[in-house]
Amino acid sequence: MIEVESLSRRYGNRWAVRDVSFRVATGEIVGFLGPNGAGKTTTLRMLTGYLAPSSGAIRIDGIEALQHPIHARQRLGYMPEGVPLYREMRVYEYLRHRAALKGVAEVSDAVDRSLERAGVTDARRRIIGQLSKGYRQRVGLAEALIADPPILILDEPTSGLDPNQVRQFRELVRSFRHDKTVLLSTHILSEVEAVCDRVIIIHAGLKVADPSTERER
Amino acid sequence: MMSAWVIMRRELASFFVSPLAYVVLTSWLMWNGVVFWVLTEFYARNAVASGAATPLSAFFGGSSLFFIPLLVFVPVLTMRLLAAEKQSGTIETLMTAPVSEASVVLGKYGASIVMWCVLWAPTLIYAWIMSQHGSVDWGATVASYFGILSLGAYFMAVGLLMSALAPNQIIAAVLSFVALGVLFTFGIGEFVFDGAMRELCAYLSMWSHMQSFSKGVVDTRYLVFDASVTILAVGLSIGALKARRHA
Repeated sequence: MIEVESLSRRYGNRWAVRDVSFRVATGEIVGFLGPNGAGKTTTLRMLTGYLAPSSGAIRIDGIEALQHPIHARQRLGYMPEGVPLYREMRVYEYLRHRAALKGVAEVSDAVDRSLERAGVTDARRRIIGQLSKGYRQRVGLAEALIADPPILILDEPTSGLDPNQVRQFRELVRSFRHDKTVLLSTHILSEVEAVCDRVIIIHAGLKVADPSTERER
Repeated sequence: MMSAWVIMRRELASFFVSPLAYVVLTSWLMWNGVVFWVLTEFYARNAVASGAATPLSAFFGGSSLFFIPLLVFVPVLTMRLLAAEKQSGTIETLMTAPVSEASVVLGKYGASIVMWCVLWAPTLIYAWIMSQHGSVDWGATVASYFGILSLGAYFMAVGLLMSALAPNQIIAAVLSFVALGVLFTFGIGEFVFDGAMRELCAYLSMWSHMQSFSKGVVDTRYLVFDASVTILAVGLSIGALKARRHA
């Protein structure tokens, strides 16, 4: 479960995110929708602890993420926008490294499982820098899954993929339903319709719509 | 601290699969091979003028030929440490993993110390060559390597800090070059100023530092200085990484 309370982030004197609050319940797949520059990436970066908020509170499965960042990050799998990877490493080397960094006990099993789940088993011995964009995206997902975290945060996971890869990727995300809590950002409405249970819409750093909370009212 | 070890291993693996590692090591050995040869020739031809100095003591910091390559090679070795992660964006996956800033910095720093040792290990062969053709003061040689390790601890820490501050590798390299160049030039102040300023310059001097160790004199003042700069620079690097989250 992700709980965000009046989260704000300022760059200099420009507000990137302003007073945004929302909840993502356990097992839900939620789309974080908004045009480019709306503050999606900034919000996700605050959730994952990459950026510190200017104000507000974040709870990850009840853990105060700002007070206990390492503890909170242990519960997250994160795929940043553009999927940064160590290009000189082989796929399995990279996953082994990340598993060790995240303190996974059975590294080899975890690598096999996440390769399988992300559908990159056939590329396990290839050098990351030589992979196609679609494969690199999946390696990024395998990395997010490596420690089997209860929460996945995916920033624009389908950007730059061809339509076939997009379809495969959406199926993959749908397969996490009920098993993991997923928050994915996108600027494509049809993507939300295709994979998400619910949508949170953000524009110019402000939350403009969150149908679930409106229903509650 | 387990994660520092994991980070250090990856850093070393990625360094030693890069062409950079072999370009650096090869040119380093070529440079030092020429330096060692010239020094040996000099002492062979000027046995009287050389006094107590030996080719080895001259090689380990007895001449500026020791420092000039270091001003270039240290920045090249350290520029990648954190700046490469920023450049490629992998800093985001690194800093969102459940690891502390301190483990990241210590892992990177540990890797740089290993690189420093790899740089110097082949020079042991010069000591061996000398021992085949004359007598080698092994005590002074051990002290020289100890001095190099201590000096390297602080050089690498300065390079690490610049890599933590700079947005990319080129800027990291330039900043390290300038920082080490200024520290090197301070040492020359020992021959320029007098009084307290002279004392200060002598204390900061990496030249006097290595001259003392290469003669076999382990001067604790230099060790204290090296350790202080190292701790300061590593601490500031951790601070710089923490500050990034607020940038």
